Amino acid sequence: MKTLFLAMFIAYGLGAFAALVGGRKSFGRWLVALGAVLGAGAGLALGATVIATGIPFTLFFPELLPLGGGLALRLDALGAFFLVVIGVGAIPAALYGAGYTAAYKDGRASLPLLGAMFNLFLLTMSLVTLADNVLTFLLMWEGMSLTSYFLVMTEAGEERTRNAGLWYIGMTHAGLGMLLAAFLLLAGGAGSGAFADLRASAASLTSGARDAVFVLAFLGFGSKAGIVPLHVWLPRAHPAAPSHVSALMSGVMIKMGIYGFLRVALDLMGGGPAWWGGLVLGVGVASALLGVLYALMEHDLKRLLAYHSVENVGIILIGIGTGLMFHRYGLMPLAALGFIGALYHVLNHATFKGLLFLGAGSVLHATHTRNMEEMGGLIKRMPWTALFFLIGAAAISALPPLNGFVSEWLIFQSLLGGVSIPVPEVVVLMPVAVGLLALTSGLAAACFVKAFGITFLALPRSPEAAHAHESPFSMRLGMALLALACVGLGVAPFAVVPVLGTILAGLGGLPDTRAEFTMNVFLQTPSAFGQMSPTLMALGLLLLLGLVPSVLWLLRLNRQRRLSDSWGCGRVGQTARMEYTATAFAEPLKRVFAEIYRPMKELTVDFHPESKYFVQSIEYRSEITPWFDQALYRPFLQSATFVAQQVRRLQAGSLHLYLLYIAIVLILLLIVARWL
Amino acid sequence: MLLSKIIRTGLVTEPLNSDSTRFIEVVRGTGTEIRRHLGRALAIREVDAGSCNGCEIEISGLTGPVHDSERFGIHFVASPRHADMLLVTGPVTRNMEVPLLKTYEATPAPKLVVAVGDCAKHCGVFKGSYAVVGSVADVIPVDVFVTGCPPEPAEILQGILTAVGRLPQKQ
Repeated sequence: MKTLFLAMFIAYGLGAFAALVGGRKSFGRWLVALGAVLGAGAGLALGATVIATGIPFTLFFPELLPLGGGLALRLDALGAFFLVVIGVGAIPAALYGAGYTAAYKDGRASLPLLGAMFNLFLLTMSLVTLADNVLTFLLMWEGMSLTSYFLVMTEAGEERTRNAGLWYIGMTHAGLGMLLAAFLLLAGGAGSGAFADLRASAASLTSGARDAVFVLAFLGFGSKAGIVPLHVWLPRAHPAAPSHVSALMSGVMIKMGIYGFLRVALDLMGGGPAWWGGLVLGVGVASALLGVLYALMEHDLKRLLAYHSVENVGIILIGIGTGLMFHRYGLMPLAALGFIGALYHVLNHATFKGLLFLGAGSVLHATHTRNMEEMGGLIKRMPWTALFFLIGAAAISALPPLNGFVSEWLIFQSLLGGVSIPVPEVVVLMPVAVGLLALTSGLAAACFVKAFGITFLALPRSPEAAHAHESPFSMRLGMALLALACVGLGVAPFAVVPVLGTILAGLGGLPDTRAEFTMNVFLQTPSAFGQMSPTLMALGLLLLLGLVPSVLWLLRLNRQRRLSDSWGCGRVGQTARMEYTATAFAEPLKRVFAEIYRPMKELTVDFHPESKYFVQSIEYRSEITPWFDQALYRPFLQSATFVAQQVRRLQAGSLHLYLLYIAIVLILLLIVARWL
Repeated sequence: MLLSKIIRTGLVTEPLNSDSTRFIEVVRGTGTEIRRHLGRALAIREVDAGSCNGCEIEISGLTGPVHDSERFGIHFVASPRHADMLLVTGPVTRNMEVPLLKTYEATPAPKLVVAVGDCAKHCGVFKGSYAVVGSVADVIPVDVFVTGCPPEPAEILQGILTAVGRLPQKQ
C-alpha cells in the first residue's frame, strides 16, 4: 500500500513539475494529464485495496508539523471510498483536459499554472481523505481550496471570472473559519488533535458543546458542499472554471464537504440527538428543491449544471439526515440504508455530473458560448457528445436503468422506513420529505429535457452552433469512460451496495448490515420493505427496444419510409427563430413557482406615432434575482464594504502617518503591559 | 337548481325535416362504410384555403347537436399527421397555396381530399381575382367535389361517404 501511496504522490508531483517546465507544448499537456491519470489511478487502487482488505493504511511523519502533532495520514474505509470517488472523477477529467486545454494556447490563460494547480489540487484533495489529525486535515483542506481557487481563476482576464473567484474564496474561508472553531471545540476536550483522541473524548463533551460542534461543522462543510443558502459560490465559480475543472469541482470536490461532515458527525462524534438528523434532512430537502428550481430558470448551460450540484448535494444530505435520525432511534439497518443511499449518490453524482460538465465543455469548446438560446441542432454535428450528454442527463434525472435511479431509490426506501419511528414529528417530516424529493426528481427531469432538447435538437440558433465541430478523441474518451461508469453503476448495484455496507460497518456504532440486504439480481432492502432489480429492468428495456422494431419489421408494418419536413402548421419559411426556446420552456414553471422566484418583468412596446394599432417594436425583459442573494448577502456585503471604507481613512498613504501609528500602538501596549 | 332547469327546459333542438329518412340513410351508410374501410373513426383535417367561412359554418354544423358527426365515426383532428382526409374549402389564395401543398404532403397515405363548396371547385365569385391561384384541383389532387354555396351538412356528409368508398377495402 505504501508503494501505491508513493506512486500517487510522485505521479501528481511529476505532473505538476511537467506543467511548470513544458506545460505550453502539446507534449507537456499530455504529461500533465498522464501525471494526473497515474496519480488518480494509484489513489483509486490504494482506496480499493483498503476497502477490499479492510486494513487501514497509516503513515506518520512526526518531524513534519511538530506543533500540530506531526503529519498523520491514515486511510480507513470511509476515506478510501472518497479516494475512489476522486479517482473515478479525476481520470476521465484529466484525459479530457489534455484535449480541452489546447484552446488556451492562444494565451488567454497560463497553461503551466493550470497544469500544476490541477495536479496539486488532486493531490491535496486526495490527502484530505487521508488526514488523521486536525492540523493535517485543515492544511490539506486549505490546500485544496486554494489550488481550486487558482483553477477557477484560469481565465482571470475576464471580469466575471475575477468576481466568481472572489465569491469562492470568501465563502470557502468563511467555511474554514467555522471548521477551525468546530475542531478547536472538539480538540479542546481531547487535549490533542489526533482523530483517535477526538473520537475517544467526544462523548465526554457537554451536550451544548457537541451541538455547537455539530452546527459549526455542518455549516463549514456545508459551505463547501453547497447547501442552501451557502451555495452562492457554486453557480458563479463552476461556469468560470475550465470545464474539466468544473467537472472535478462539482463532481468530486464538493463531496469532500460530505466526507468531512460524515467524518465529524458520524465517526468522531458518533451521531447525536434527533434534531441533528432533522436539521440535515430539512436543509437537504430545501437544497434539493431550490437547487432544481433555480436550475430550471438558468439558460447558461454550466450555471444550470452548477445549480443541479446544489440539488444533488441536497439529495445526498436527505440520505445522511435520515441515516442520522434512524441511528438515533437505534434502527441500524434503516440507518445504514440511508447512509448507503447517500454514499451511492456521492459516487453516482461524481460520474454523471462529471460527464455532464465535460459534455457542456465540449459544447462550449465547439460553439464558444454557454448560452443555450444560441445553440441547437448540435446532435447532427457532435453526435458523440450528444450521446454522452444524453446518458448523463438520463442518469441525473434518475431514469432506470442508470445509476441515479438506484441511489435515489435507496434514499426513497430509507425515507419510507420513517413510519417505524414512533415520534409524531418524524412521522410527519419523512413523508413530506418523500413528496418534496419526488417533486425534485420530476423537476430535474423537466430541466434536462430542456437542457438536452434546446442544446442538441432542432435547428441551430446561431452561426456558431451551425458550424460546430465534434471534440477531439481525448475529450470523447474522457466522456465515454464516465458514461460507461453511469451505466455500470446503474446496472450492477448488487456489486456496489455490499461494498458500501462494509465501508459503513463500525462507523459511529453502525453494525455490519450486509446480511440485511438481499444482494443478488434483486435488490431487497431490510425487512423486505421494497425490492427491485435494475439489471432485469435494463434487460427488459433492451428486449423491448430490440423486440418491438423486429416484430414490426416481421409483420411488414414498417417497410415504407417517407422523408419529409417536420410539420410546422404549413408555415412557408421555417427558421430557428420560430423554435421553442429555453425561456419559453421554463415559463409555465416560472408562473407556477412565482412566489419563490419573484421574477422581475419589463415589457416595453413602441407604437407607431400615427396609430397605436401599429407596433414598431416590442421589448421584453425578465430577470430573476435569487432571494437569498438579496436578503442574506447584500446587507452583509454592504455593511462589510462600509466598514472597510471607514477603515480606509486610516490608510492615507503617508509613511509618516504609518510610523505614527506604530508609535501610538507601541506606547499603548507599553501602558497596558505596565498596568497588567 | 340544475336539475329543475333540466326538467323545465325540455328539448330545444329542432326536429329534422320531412325528408329526414334520406339523411338518416346517409348517416347509417357513412357509419358502416367507415367501419368497413378503416375499422376505426375517420380522421379529418379541415383546411380553409381562403373561403368566405360559409362552408366552415356548414362543416361545424356537421359536428353540432343535430348531426353530431362523432357518433358515426367522423373525427376532426388538429394536425394533418393524424388525418385520413383533408376537407378543403374556398378558392386557393396566393397565401394559402404553399401551406395547402405542405398540408397535403404532411398527410400520411392513403389520403383523401374532399373539396367543399363551389369556390373550391371553380373559384365561385372570386374567379379571376388577383389574390386567387385557382381551384383546389389546380393545387392538389381532389377525390370528390361537393357543390353548393354553401352545401348543407347532409351534402358534405354524402361527399365524405363517396370519398371513403374510394379507399382500399380493409381485409
